[in-house]
Amino acid sequence: MGHRSAGWLLALLPAGLFAGFLRFTPAIEAGRTVTERFAWAPSLGVNVALRLDGFALLFCLLITGIGALVVIYAGAYFTEYSASERARFHALILFFMTAMLGAVLADDLIVLFLFWEATSVISFLLIGFDGASPSARRSALMSLRVTAGGGLALLAAILGLGVTLGSYSMTEVIARAPELARSPWAVPIVAGLLVGAFTKSAQFPFHFWLPNAMQAPTPASAYLHSATMVKLGIYLLARFETVIAGVPLGRDTLISVAMATMLVGAYQALRAENYKSVLAYSTVASLGILVMLVGLDGPMASVATVGFLLAHALYKATLFFCAGTVLHATGLSKLRLMGGLGRFLPVTALASLLASLSMAGLPPFLGFISKEFLFEAQIQSSWNAIPVAIAVLVNAVLVGVAGVVTLRPFFMGRDRVREVKHREVLGLLVGPMTLALLGLLISLQPDWISRAVLRPAVASIYGQPVDVTVALWHGVSPLILLSAAVVGVGALIFVYWRPIHRRLRTESPLDHYEAEHAYDALLRGIEAAARRTAGYVRRNDLRGQQWIIMASAGAFVLWGLLAAGVIPRARFGLSGVRFGPAVVSIVGLAGGVAAARARSLLAAMVATGLAGLVVALTFMMNGAPDLALTQFAVESLVVVLLTAALLTLPIAAPPTRAPRARRLDAMLATGLSVVIFVALIDVSAAPQRTEISAFFGARSYVEAFGRNVVNVILVDFRGFDTLGETTVIALSAVIAWSLLGPRMPREARFLADSRTGPFILVMATPLFYWLLLALSLVVLLRGHNEIGGGFVGGLTAALAFAIVALAHGVGIAREKLRLHPLMLAGGGLLIATASGVPGLVVYGDFLRHVWFEADVLGVHIKQGTTLLFDLGVYLAVLGTVLAFLFGLTREAER
Amino acid sequence: MSVVYAFVAAGLFGCGVYMVLSRHIVRVILGLSLLTTAVNLVLFLAGRIRSAQPPLIREGSERLGESVDPVPQALILTAIVIGFALTVILAALALRAYRAHGTLRSDEINAAQTLGDPFAPGEADDR
Repeated sequence: MGHRSAGWLLALLPAGLFAGFLRFTPAIEAGRTVTERFAWAPSLGVNVALRLDGFALLFCLLITGIGALVVIYAGAYFTEYSASERARFHALILFFMTAMLGAVLADDLIVLFLFWEATSVISFLLIGFDGASPSARRSALMSLRVTAGGGLALLAAILGLGVTLGSYSMTEVIARAPELARSPWAVPIVAGLLVGAFTKSAQFPFHFWLPNAMQAPTPASAYLHSATMVKLGIYLLARFETVIAGVPLGRDTLISVAMATMLVGAYQALRAENYKSVLAYSTVASLGILVMLVGLDGPMASVATVGFLLAHALYKATLFFCAGTVLHATGLSKLRLMGGLGRFLPVTALASLLASLSMAGLPPFLGFISKEFLFEAQIQSSWNAIPVAIAVLVNAVLVGVAGVVTLRPFFMGRDRVREVKHREVLGLLVGPMTLALLGLLISLQPDWISRAVLRPAVASIYGQPVDVTVALWHGVSPLILLSAAVVGVGALIFVYWRPIHRRLRTESPLDHYEAEHAYDALLRGIEAAARRTAGYVRRNDLRGQQWIIMASAGAFVLWGLLAAGVIPRARFGLSGVRFGPAVVSIVGLAGGVAAARARSLLAAMVATGLAGLVVALTFMMNGAPDLALTQFAVESLVVVLLTAALLTLPIAAPPTRAPRARRLDAMLATGLSVVIFVALIDVSAAPQRTEISAFFGARSYVEAFGRNVVNVILVDFRGFDTLGETTVIALSAVIAWSLLGPRMPREARFLADSRTGPFILVMATPLFYWLLLALSLVVLLRGHNEIGGGFVGGLTAALAFAIVALAHGVGIAREKLRLHPLMLAGGGLLIATASGVPGLVVYGDFLRHVWFEADVLGVHIKQGTTLLFDLGVYLAVLGTVLAFLFGLTREAER
Repeated sequence: MSVVYAFVAAGLFGCGVYMVLSRHIVRVILGLSLLTTAVNLVLFLAGRIRSAQPPLIREGSERLGESVDPVPQALILTAIVIGFALTVILAALALRAYRAHGTLRSDEINAAQTLGDPFAPGEADDR
């Protein structure tokens, strides 16, 4: 199958969806809504709730219908791109379509938000499709920052709605709009909604990203900026109209912003030079019209919103398609260089003409009807004449634009272009011709579509059925006079386009106030602030850096204590002090002090180990034998491993800090100690919360069949955490293995291993080796009910190998292991992960352990997948420690 | 007794901090190891010392009787092993650093600084 047919084939998906949505029209026409829901995060009140009503159906039909045409068009458009780039484009477009459908079908606001942000991210990828071009990257980032930033405001508003009304259902929120209006949070919530919608729909002052987004390949522009992405903001505003109207100045804000957007869009459309820029700014103006229509009150406003939404989607997508075909054919982007293209691209010229007539609002096109709706809505609304005047002016500019983008490139200036690179092919024509003809057919045969799509769409945003009469001739009324005025002024603008354009292109004082400058300035400011902050907190010296971290950590704890108003609730009194344990702990502290003061690294290491052993004893004496065993094993292993590493390093470590710096450090350390001490004293005097411990204590045996509560928490209740920690440990084995020296050839290893340890150690090694291995297995096996578990077991087994390595050298230890330590670590991780699979199969929950009972030869056996999990942990820990051991010795012997 | 343990934990913490502030990287590593131990002890003390009875459910009983709080123990157990892995990885890094630079002083290991400012203007700068 050739590349050329890919577009046609892929278009089957959106076309099929289009047909699927058409099947819902009878239900929607009858006034029903179609809903689907399934639980997603029920504990958070978030459900995947989908809802199809008239307004959503209109969007779905536009998204899938135009989507299918865009896919066909893109298949023919990307002739100069490689197959993988075309594939990327098609995948992105289809992803984008999915995100759009999700956004307009979602009834749950959290789900809506997720799809909303997905459209921002995917449009970022589409606008920056040509990633090698710096301007494409800049535009893509700009649109992402503006629209996703606005998305954050929307998220805040949605969370506010959820907190205020206790529901994330859009239907419910809209139904309870009056209740929301009485809440003190109504204004911030509406402000968040507005910022989200304004950024997405390119309203002033956030409009600047849209013209920049013309860096996208034209098929993407045709999709994003006619029917989909930018209309999402309009969708949101239309849905939440009652909520917005409920707060003071809600409608006024909509209409004022809309008027500013219309004027800016019209002004910039007159100034723009590029074909696509002219279209982009006219889109900004059209989006302003749509926002104004949402802001107006009265049933006609809803009718006009739906009518203009449809008309604009049809003609704007067509015009973008035509612009794409022209760019594709000529490689030119500036309008003034084009002319006479009707000779080479006759069908495209025809489509462009039809779409322009609709855009200009001439009868008998759909654009005419939608413009009549617009003026009728304005007259019926309670607003004064200012929006009417602005609408007449802006519509007149749109008439001029419509004339310019069709007549100039296709029909005027025949001598400007003498030849084209590509002619039109069927794939480039299906889209524009279909949409352009629809703009004519709908207005000539309006019955079905207004009954099945438009009327339900209006009803779902207005809240009650409105009689929508789509008719071309309303008789002589003020409306027709306004239309005539628009066409008259528009014709003048078209005729005097060159002088107006030249005049407006000269430097204007308004340029300084462009929102894009503010955007750039904001970015520069953020960058400078980040630099300054880094200058304060970054030191080129490890000690300085640590100082900042430690001191601020201490300051935060102190601040927390003071802010909480803590007066240490010390229950002093040495009555509970037992003499023996107290002496032992003081010895541990002495070890710590000795480590801090030691001049020799070896002494520091031994002293650190002493402190560790004392802490292990403390665990032992206070009911934590599991911790004690683990700590003992770790301390022994640290000594073995660090000794191996230190052998190659200079043992003497002269002071690296000046006496004054040392005093300063000692002061910081003492200060932190005091803060910790005070906090600990306070904590131990505070009443203890025991709900969680009581929960585990009560459920461990009954539900998880284990008597060692610590082990049950690790392998069962918090099994996922433990799996994550085991992964970290196994990964550290990979890191150590790759950090430490190259592998030695087998021969050399035996030579290097010829040394042997002291005689007694060598003699006792087999005994210790087997004893420790057996012990480790016992610890592993009975861990669920007695002291022990995978971690301790793995460490104990590692000790067995460490003893062999000490006595006979590491080569013999490796011989005994036979396996690669990383194999062991990875295998352990695999087993631990696999132990969660039976639970997934049986209960549908990963890592929910499965237990089975059986009588084998008269012996009753009850075992669970917990043992498998612990075995995985055991092997992962063993493999990791052995990777450390072998790696460090190997590196030291180099 | 808590007072004594609190004093020891806080003291070990201070010793760890003092060592971490050193410029000798092996001392920093040992200090970090000491700091981990001290923090584990702090965590343990936050679970209170009220009994010497390990959190094991007795034979014949279905729920945990009077014993030490099991939750901090479950947290500390993995923390000990992770802290151990961290110490060894750092030791391996120190070894490599010594091989590459012939020094264990953090202020003399500055290969990255000599490369200059990664944010210096001049490179392609996307906004």
